[in-house]
Amino acid sequence: MPGFTHLHTVSGFSLRYGASHPERLAERAAERGMDALALTDRDTLAGAVRFAKACAKAGVRPLFGAELAVEEYEPVRQERRRAPVRGGAFIDESTPRVTFLARDGARGWADLCRLVTTVHTAADTPLLPWAENSGDGLTVLLGPDSDVGRALAAGRPDRAARLLVPWRERYGDALRLEAVWHGRKGTGPGSLRLAARTVGFAAEQRVRPVLGNAVRYADPGQGPVADVLDAARRLVPVGAAKELDSGEAWLKDAPAMLAAAERIVEAAGFRRDTAHRLLEQTRATAAECLVDPEDDLGIGTVHFPEPHLVGAGRRTAQRTLASRAAAGMLRKGYAGRYAYWERMHQELDIIAHHGFASYFLTVAQVVDDVREMGVRVAARGSGAGSLVNHLLGIAHADPVEHGLLMERFLSKRRLVLPDIDIDVESARRLEVYRAIIDRFDTERVATVAMPETYRVRHAVRDVGAALSMDPADIDRIAKSFPHIRARDARAALEELPELRALAGEKEKYGRLWELVESLDALPRGVAMHPCGVLLSDASLLSRTPVMPTSGEGFPMSQFDKDDVEDLGLLKLDVLGVRMQSAMAHAVAEVARATGERVDIDAIAPGDPATYQLIRSTETLGCFQIESPGQRDLVGRLQPATFHDLVVDISLFRPGPVAADMVRPFIEARHGRAPVRYPHPDLEEPLKGTYGVVVFHEQIIDIVDIMTGCGRGEADRVRRGLSDPESQGRIRFWFAQHAAARGYDAETIQRTWEIIEAFGSYGFCKAHAVAFAVPTYQSAWLKAHHPAAFYAGLLTHDPGMYPKRLLLADARRRGVPILPLDVNKSAVAHRIELVSDSGVWGLRLALSDVHGISEAEAARIADGQPYASLLDFWDRARPSRPLAQRLAQVGALDAFGANRRDLQLHLTELHRGARGGGGGQLPLAGGKKTASAGLPDLSSAEKLSAELGVLSMDASRNLMDDHRDFLGELGVASARRLREARHGETVLVAGAKAATQTPPIRSGKRVIFSTLDDGTGLVDLAFFDDSHDACAHTVFHSWLLLVRGTVQRRGPRSLSVVGTAAWNLAELVELRAEQGLDAVAARLAEPMPEAGGDSTGGRRIQMPTGYELHPWADLRPAGQEPSQVRKLWHQSPGSAG
Amino acid sequence: MTILCVRFQLPPAHEAALPGLLGLLEDFTPVVEALPPDGALADLRGAERYFGRDAVELASVIRVRALAHHGVDCAIGAGPGPMLARMALRDARPGVTRAVTEGEVADFLDGKPVAALPGVGTATARTLCEYGLDTLGRVAAAPLSTLQRLVGAKAGRELHEKANGVDRGRVVPNGVSRSLATERPFTRDELDPDRHRRALLSAAGELGARLRALDKVCGALTLTVRYADRSSTTRTRTLKEPTAHSAALTRTAYEMYEALGLQRARVRAMSLRAETLGPAEQASHQLTFDPTDDKLRRIEEVADRARAKFGPHAVMPGTLAA
Repeated sequence: MPGFTHLHTVSGFSLRYGASHPERLAERAAERGMDALALTDRDTLAGAVRFAKACAKAGVRPLFGAELAVEEYEPVRQERRRAPVRGGAFIDESTPRVTFLARDGARGWADLCRLVTTVHTAADTPLLPWAENSGDGLTVLLGPDSDVGRALAAGRPDRAARLLVPWRERYGDALRLEAVWHGRKGTGPGSLRLAARTVGFAAEQRVRPVLGNAVRYADPGQGPVADVLDAARRLVPVGAAKELDSGEAWLKDAPAMLAAAERIVEAAGFRRDTAHRLLEQTRATAAECLVDPEDDLGIGTVHFPEPHLVGAGRRTAQRTLASRAAAGMLRKGYAGRYAYWERMHQELDIIAHHGFASYFLTVAQVVDDVREMGVRVAARGSGAGSLVNHLLGIAHADPVEHGLLMERFLSKRRLVLPDIDIDVESARRLEVYRAIIDRFDTERVATVAMPETYRVRHAVRDVGAALSMDPADIDRIAKSFPHIRARDARAALEELPELRALAGEKEKYGRLWELVESLDALPRGVAMHPCGVLLSDASLLSRTPVMPTSGEGFPMSQFDKDDVEDLGLLKLDVLGVRMQSAMAHAVAEVARATGERVDIDAIAPGDPATYQLIRSTETLGCFQIESPGQRDLVGRLQPATFHDLVVDISLFRPGPVAADMVRPFIEARHGRAPVRYPHPDLEEPLKGTYGVVVFHEQIIDIVDIMTGCGRGEADRVRRGLSDPESQGRIRFWFAQHAAARGYDAETIQRTWEIIEAFGSYGFCKAHAVAFAVPTYQSAWLKAHHPAAFYAGLLTHDPGMYPKRLLLADARRRGVPILPLDVNKSAVAHRIELVSDSGVWGLRLALSDVHGISEAEAARIADGQPYASLLDFWDRARPSRPLAQRLAQVGALDAFGANRRDLQLHLTELHRGARGGGGGQLPLAGGKKTASAGLPDLSSAEKLSAELGVLSMDASRNLMDDHRDFLGELGVASARRLREARHGETVLVAGAKAATQTPPIRSGKRVIFSTLDDGTGLVDLAFFDDSHDACAHTVFHSWLLLVRGTVQRRGPRSLSVVGTAAWNLAELVELRAEQGLDAVAARLAEPMPEAGGDSTGGRRIQMPTGYELHPWADLRPAGQEPSQVRKLWHQSPGSAG
Repeated sequence: MTILCVRFQLPPAHEAALPGLLGLLEDFTPVVEALPPDGALADLRGAERYFGRDAVELASVIRVRALAHHGVDCAIGAGPGPMLARMALRDARPGVTRAVTEGEVADFLDGKPVAALPGVGTATARTLCEYGLDTLGRVAAAPLSTLQRLVGAKAGRELHEKANGVDRGRVVPNGVSRSLATERPFTRDELDPDRHRRALLSAAGELGARLRALDKVCGALTLTVRYADRSSTTRTRTLKEPTAHSAALTRTAYEMYEALGLQRARVRAMSLRAETLGPAEQASHQLTFDPTDDKLRRIEEVADRARAKFGPHAVMPGTLAA
């Protein structure tokens, strides 16, 4: 019996509707003997590319389609319901849905893209207006959810006949009626009676019927998952409002569908063998739909913007590129250097070979436009290795001088699309997008989608709500998980020490875990990818469906970044880099306050103060070198030149760390180990890194030198190294060619060992050079203009640390922190001359006040100065909560009276404004506000208000309040720790700044954490023997007390290995309320026993060969420290 | 310290037992004020001399009698005025009577949170805490004018007096419980309006039956809907005429429910409270020419008798039986 073709199948890309991934559907279709399968997701084609690839792999012919919400021809009037006082209204899903299949190749696909794009132009919910409802290349299935199907379900064949007329006019012969039987009772969708009516109606109206199954999931038994998805979509608990899923909507095989067809035709009053005709009609409909993934979707072809748009005029793109490059040679002063001309011509040859000239011109055009806007822009990635890019002004660094290779970026042998990423100021990224769209027009530009998929936390929340669990329980469970995949939920419960308490009550929640795991990786929403922009020719909209992004309203392709690459659409990555914004702000501040114009792109290389700062490891806030691991590495490496920074950035990658390239490098650098080369010929490429292979470029050079194969081929070889299969072949090939060049067996063996160990770890030097530039620039700013630097950092919030830590760092480096003041603070952080000695201080910004709107901040800043509270209230017109917050943090202190009195006055002003008059403001001494006799905020309350309103402890470090208690405990401060001996046992305490569980070479899970205690930072490491005792505390407390041993690896490299951890906030409270004995009792409580490795030695084998702990490299549980707004306790009288 | 505040430990929905317990208090003094659903204030000024014992000793006697006669335990607070007695009750538990004497009033009040003061609701407490007046000691220290600016002239003056221990309240004998309540919880988040209405029907039926058993009528009905996120909505409606008629109560409950227009709200419980109870013989009844109303009342009367004979579930509306 020939296979059945499902014409109506949705995947998980139908958000919160489909329960299976397209890949799974394709696999199952192949297993169940089907030759073809359609994917008809709801209002989206986002799954199409994956589906096409999966089908090609499974040997099934893909059909493309979509199930769209269609405007009713005769809208049914609905009565308006009363607005609910609580809980919100039901989600309206009453719009009829119709399935559209692409039939006529590229035309069909283009029609489908157009319809999907149109659907998303509707105001609120997706809707296809009648005016646009047409397409010559489409086949239309009217199923139970269409207006015709609904009329039949309602027992109104007359109305159905009337509604069918417009459909017939538009689509004629391409119209089908779809019968679906899900074994339901009654006459609704999925019922036998409706299916029979549909078939009978089709015969009567002479429209061809087809059989469908409205597939929502691949396998039987997934009905409960569909129920949860329904519940999550409708925002109601499972089973409320509508009946449960029938459990029949799976990808049924041919015999099951034949049985269904027989039941339906019999019920319709035909002979049983008519069922074969129904199936035959279905098959014929499927056979007509011919869309070829390669030819019609455009997989594997490339489309660049038309040359005339990128400044080529009437010349060819290649000619234009060549002349612009030559102009660049003259402008940059390389005209007299032969090597540069040679290299340029070589590169132009390669570009011409691929026909990529318009691509380079496009990127150059974008970079020029961005620069014209006055936005800082820099190229990153392998593109920096091309001299042509440098000449066009795309990349800053001179590739010849830094030894960067074009072949790493593009060669005659590389077939993939080259990729140039550009970094812009994050704060102005959207402006840049708008400029690109203006330049190339919406028909050629679209941003790229990024599906947000279910991971464990969201899955727990949605399933919990669907199962009507207690919201407080749901919240607690969701928050206790690290950010892992949903399918690992139960494994994590078994194995992670910090989840042990939760595992104990696991049984209580019944089906929760199973359902959570079944939601794994299903898309639950779609967002704009933060950096990708599609650039194409004018045919873009016939190749990709586009929807507007929420918020900005940019056109966004429904495809994600991988799909886009497969479709051959040119993607330019425009990354918003906060550090660029921060530096721009710092420079602007210096110019505003001092009049000094700093050009950080032209600062002198090798500035001693900058390198001294870097070597001191006080690099908080510096680009790329601020993490605990990097500070440790910088301390050991002691960089002194720009090249050292490049190496440092390259070494701090999972690969090199895993391959243990760091230690030999450091040893050799400090002269503790001799520098060795496998062969004198290799000295040239390896000299700069003391014989250790760090860069991709070095491998390319080594292979080229040893085999003479040319760099283009060498890069291909390098790529092959990561695949164990091809590695064997390469080894043979390498030995053969190297021997032919006259190298002896031992040299070949040793060189191969280096190449093999290197695998594909190393780092692209072009990338590292591009990174090192802002690293040096930011360190320079920190060394020379610290106040402005911190102002930039705090305004644009780059990096991994919470703002309060940056503030603590500023305080430590002697930058005075000036409090918020409505008469002095601006919208952004500013610098201000503090004393005549010329010290610059940092004035906190209005924009950091919790809940302030941009308009309010601007209004306050514009109205300065204010003479009195009344003046401030009248002219700045702050909202009452905002004014209260400003009073709490002391921004209104200048107006006299204490902060609580000010609040009372503000309330009365507010009341007076509302009541119209009666706003008596008791004034004493003219402009000062009179006291009302309320108690002022206590010192702890002020600090609490600062944390609550600004998320920063602005007036002093919050640890200062605990000095006495910490003294009692004998806690070592970070400053004192610098003198601690190796192996000494110490107590440390502080506020947690960052916690990570990165992948580690040993394959173990290590928790790294950083504490800030006001005198400096303490880096902590917890190894897995201490996890049972510490993991939960470390993840879920903000203030920590830790016992550990000191580890020293260099003069500036120090960390504490934790053995026990306590929640300091809890201890402080015990001390305050019950005295030291209670603290002692708490400390005496036994720590949980170490339970050994609960993963049973399970490790993830990385493709590069090293092992990874299954739970490493995750965003850990607990609240991000940067989110903490509360002090450890909320005193009953706390402000607000 | 002649005022006692008693809280009986009644199981929920047993307010009907309160009148009996009030009778017990009335053996000691005629000045007893009911604090429904489970408390009472008693003025023992005369009783102390009559029985020759002080208030604390009398409290023990009251507890023993409540346990012996009714099997109900109670906690008792004693103070010079009703307000202080009520506040003292917060510190008391069965067997430990908390007594506040005239002399220690200031110390007693000093560290208490403002919300502990009777008459200070959550809104007032929040306002006071915002301004740092989180304990009664601080409120007492704040200038009267400032308090009046914060919470209004009259409330400010009262607050000022109360915080300073001036207790002007008196025990007003009322003798009757003034409200009856019942709750219908759901085992899961319930969105189905039919189930909601069924819960209301059953609750209104129960309230009506209980009112009629006590020979009372109620003047107003309060509907409280509790949601999964622990929030709730409350609506009160005054009845057209005081009644204990189940059909009238149900109709009013439905009206209040419909006005909420709930759709996706996850309802966890619905409770109804009959308020401003009065004696049934004083209730007026609007006669109509429509015989249905009359029939309903007669059926109700018969059903009540059947229930009295065969138990509360002998007769019930069809929708609830299903």
